[in-house]
Amino acid sequence: MCYRLNSRQLFSIIALLKALTILSAFMLSMHTSSVFAQEKTNGTGLGNENPESSTWFTAKNLLDNLQIQGFASQAFIATSDNDVFGNTDEGGSFGFTELGLNALLRPLPRLQLSGQMLSRRAGKDNNGTPRLDFAFFDYTIYSHETNQFGIRFGRLKNPFGFYNDTRDVPFTRPSILLPQSIYFDRTRNVGLSADSIQFYGETSNAKWGDFTVQFGITRPIVDDRDTEISLLGPNLTGNLSPDVSLIGRGLYETPNKRFRFAVSGVWFNANYKPGVNDPISVSPGSIQFSPIYISAQYNTERWSLTSEYALRKFRYSNFEDSRLDSQDFFGESFYFQGEYRFSHKWEALIRYDMLFTDRSDRDGSEFAAATKIPAHTRFAKDLTVGLRWNITPRIMARLEYHRINGTAWLAPLDNPDAFDTTKNWNLFAAQLSFRF
Amino acid sequence: MRKQNTNYFCILLISIFFVITDVKAENHYRIVTHPDVNEVSITKNYLRAIFSMRLRTWPNGLVIKVFVLPDDNPLHHRFSKEQLSLFPYQLRQSWDRLVFSGTGQAPITVASDEEMYNRIKNTPGAIGYLDTSYIDDEIHVLQIK
Repeated sequence: MCYRLNSRQLFSIIALLKALTILSAFMLSMHTSSVFAQEKTNGTGLGNENPESSTWFTAKNLLDNLQIQGFASQAFIATSDNDVFGNTDEGGSFGFTELGLNALLRPLPRLQLSGQMLSRRAGKDNNGTPRLDFAFFDYTIYSHETNQFGIRFGRLKNPFGFYNDTRDVPFTRPSILLPQSIYFDRTRNVGLSADSIQFYGETSNAKWGDFTVQFGITRPIVDDRDTEISLLGPNLTGNLSPDVSLIGRGLYETPNKRFRFAVSGVWFNANYKPGVNDPISVSPGSIQFSPIYISAQYNTERWSLTSEYALRKFRYSNFEDSRLDSQDFFGESFYFQGEYRFSHKWEALIRYDMLFTDRSDRDGSEFAAATKIPAHTRFAKDLTVGLRWNITPRIMARLEYHRINGTAWLAPLDNPDAFDTTKNWNLFAAQLSFRF
Repeated sequence: MRKQNTNYFCILLISIFFVITDVKAENHYRIVTHPDVNEVSITKNYLRAIFSMRLRTWPNGLVIKVFVLPDDNPLHHRFSKEQLSLFPYQLRQSWDRLVFSGTGQAPITVASDEEMYNRIKNTPGAIGYLDTSYIDDEIHVLQIK
């Protein structure tokens, strides 16, 4: 296990180094071309001295185009039953900590280098070890007035829904816990970021508004144990390996961003290599996960109403095991959320969030009859109310309360025995966050 | 006679009221740039694209440097609502999305009008907004079409 993780990390590091080499060569060529462009503009007598290209290599100039920011956040979570990010059902726990450091460098108007390190301590699968969340370069190939087209290459956030791209930044979330039906924390690493090539296009029209399209070819990250347990159950000991996957999102916003609509889709592929200690004999099989997300938001000065729906197709094939190969079903997720701003300091939240693991068996009864595992592990309905206090633009405090029916989004590593979980439960959370 | 006087008085009062509010709304602040930005006027959509951090260069090739006052500053509120038709929270959300997904940068937040004035005056490509009392010959005022 340890060796496997190391070899994979090594692979990522080598891939990153390769990317950096290509990047530096690319930047060098960009530099020569920008110097050339500058000579040309000077030749035609068009302009002022352009400090961007003439002092390209000076440290001050680079620093002018560098932005560094970060955040730190600590939460307290208490549950009546079941564990969320630590041992929370015996008086609560301070087990949820988020730290992030982010650097954005724009050496040329068309080129941006972006990187973010993240440390997340949340339950047994996230022990706080810093990890590379994203690191990529973004090059604008075409730019004319308010129209842009470009390419991004490296480890990128997966663009789906309204919140996935920034899900680990407390200030960008509507609540301490994102609606779990869509933004699962149990298979978060699959959804979070991936090594990808992404194309993007943006256009803006004074009358109609803004359109943004992103499309990526990715190699998902599936090597953590929580993801393997979520997708294959706790008994299979082999490895999941990523296969070529696709992701895309189209976003439309009216000119004043009153209305925002998005459609996103993922076509995720992973392969299973059986382990020597597998208790049942399975063949090398494959898992296909292809969700579609529809998102809508309405904004006024005081209200933001947000709703997202997901239809998630799972398909297991070639395992040569009837229980695994019969897994061919649609999961369904939906939430409706209202945020109300009393002032720029105080905001309230109310949300209803529903998750059905298999939409043809919403109450889990067929699953329970076939497996003897409790039916409530196949759905979750969560009513949330919350309060946000922006103490200063840099410091934020939050409180929230969840009334939950069902356990479908509980992390299996924190709740290994489904028979020990409780169907109706409450969650209380408080959080203090800081940004710079 | 008395009634007529009151009428005149009312008309006078109303016109003063309108003139005063008009002056207030027109003269409170301006959208300003560094003098090197040789644009006379831009459209509202272009201004919104600049402050949404989606535009990177001025038509003359100069890199755009966007300066804003803090999120809770009253002038920032007026500027975003009146000029961009956006609420400050919407601007902050879209900047945060760019920054924390790595797909863009955020504007530079300055602490005060004085700092805004100095940064606009000394940064080629700079754009921001300033209370009219700070505007002098070293600052270029941009018209919005």
